[in-house]
Amino acid sequence: MINMMRAELYRLTKSKSFYVFWIGSVLTFLISVIYQSPGGISFGAPLDYSDDIKLDIVQTAMNFTFYFFLIIPVFCIISSEFSEHTIKNTITSAVSKKKYFTAKYVFTLVYSLLSFLTVNILFYIVNRIVNGENYSSPIGEYAKALFGQFPLFIAIVSVFIFLAFLFRKGAAFNAVTIITPIVYTTVSLVLFGIGETKKAAEKLLSYEISTMISRLAIGCTDSYRAKCYIGCAAVTVLSFVLGYVLFTKRELE
Amino acid sequence: MREIVLQTKQLTKRYRDFTALDHADMTVYRGDIYGLIGRNGAGKTTMMKLVTGLTEQTEGEYSLFGKTGSAAEKEKRRIGCLIENPAFFGSMTAYQNLRYYCFQKGITDLKQIDEALELVQLTEVKDKKYRSFSLGMKQRLGIAFAVLDNPDLIILDEPVNGLDPIGISKLRDIFRKLSQERGITLVISSHILSELYAVANRFLFIDKGRVLKEVTKQELDLECSRCIVLKTDDTKKAATILESKLNITDYKVIDSGEIRIYDESAKPEQLNKVLVLNDVSISGIGESGVSLEDYFKQLVGEVQS
Repeated sequence: MINMMRAELYRLTKSKSFYVFWIGSVLTFLISVIYQSPGGISFGAPLDYSDDIKLDIVQTAMNFTFYFFLIIPVFCIISSEFSEHTIKNTITSAVSKKKYFTAKYVFTLVYSLLSFLTVNILFYIVNRIVNGENYSSPIGEYAKALFGQFPLFIAIVSVFIFLAFLFRKGAAFNAVTIITPIVYTTVSLVLFGIGETKKAAEKLLSYEISTMISRLAIGCTDSYRAKCYIGCAAVTVLSFVLGYVLFTKRELE
Repeated sequence: MREIVLQTKQLTKRYRDFTALDHADMTVYRGDIYGLIGRNGAGKTTMMKLVTGLTEQTEGEYSLFGKTGSAAEKEKRRIGCLIENPAFFGSMTAYQNLRYYCFQKGITDLKQIDEALELVQLTEVKDKKYRSFSLGMKQRLGIAFAVLDNPDLIILDEPVNGLDPIGISKLRDIFRKLSQERGITLVISSHILSELYAVANRFLFIDKGRVLKEVTKQELDLECSRCIVLKTDDTKKAATILESKLNITDYKVIDSGEIRIYDESAKPEQLNKVLVLNDVSISGIGESGVSLEDYFKQLVGEVQS
């Protein structure tokens, strides 16, 4: 399994998407550092935070951008194997389907989350050096905000991996992963507009991905945090088990 | 006794109502160049997919190097494969693609990449991206991948597909080199019998998922070569007369009622006369012999009828 992971790392560094991911994510953070203003994508309500929360933590609350950035490594590591049909080379000579799935799952998860952490920590360091303490929180506070989002990002990547094995075709995987949060928000807003479903819509919106990312960083009730973490754990386990069963039972084309 | 490298017993694969492979038996010995012959959709690729673990059998079993079940799974490391078309990462060079698989297989001696590329004559284009390769180059890179780990068994599915005559000839040389110089056992599938005939020493004919016949090259030569078929109820006496009276030694007793004579100087009328004069009753005599293609057609025809 270690051999497979080393191979994946080698291949990643030879792909364009590796550089797209790093350049894109570093650039996003650099803009925030230079303009001393948080930047990123959010589908939820505007961020409501007190003035004493500093730039680094507000930027962490905008980490929904990573939802889209993390599609790249999953696509590169898993979907490309299906689209180039190279998967058969590995299955026929190196490992079984079970080991293949496990190695891909573990590597994709570890690589994606380490990348997420590295870029965020780099941002923290650069922001602290460039903008000073006025824009930077103590490391403990920052770590609390960043690692508070961690279970959510584990669940997101886990679902991405499941979808990559489910759809196999890169185009379908990209379309579904990109569109899902938009569709979710749109449906929630439509339901919000209908009087009878307003309460259900509010509930849906509070568990919308970008809202969860923001709240888990800036601050939320313990009960909300607990519900998020339980949900994330369930989604992570379910997507792993479903992906494993699906891949090992289905015929390879 | 020769070591069995790969053996299938009653191997069957069904996809809902369609049976892709129907109780197929196959035995490949160490050192064989084993040709798997059949029309498109005959079940050759299914057979190869089953023994390489790309798909699972519905019934039956197979053994790799004498091991079955999960133990056979571990022996997969001793196999090199090229199933269907060669597939590599288009944005990576030939060398990078093989380097990736070296990592995957735990190969630390990178000289093996150069050796594999040299064997298939791709050294000069090793830094060219795979997507810019011609079909022949792609096939050869597929073979380089298959030999990368110095396997004991190489399974190649339709490796000559779409190649020009020069490309086919180059591949043939590579197969011979692998077998003679490296002692590798090869299983090669094709729908072109003449191509396989040029390299293989044993053959398995397959059609509509069913194994029709497993023959050695010598047996195939005997089946296909021009001969006189002599039908008699006393093959022993007939054989003695052939040798003593006609000086014919190039013949084969097929069964208790048939002798095949391969001696080109033998004439049916003369044979008939001499045998009858020596009290051997002849129930039939005639010339036989078919081309490889006709032989294959006959085999397939047998199934159809």
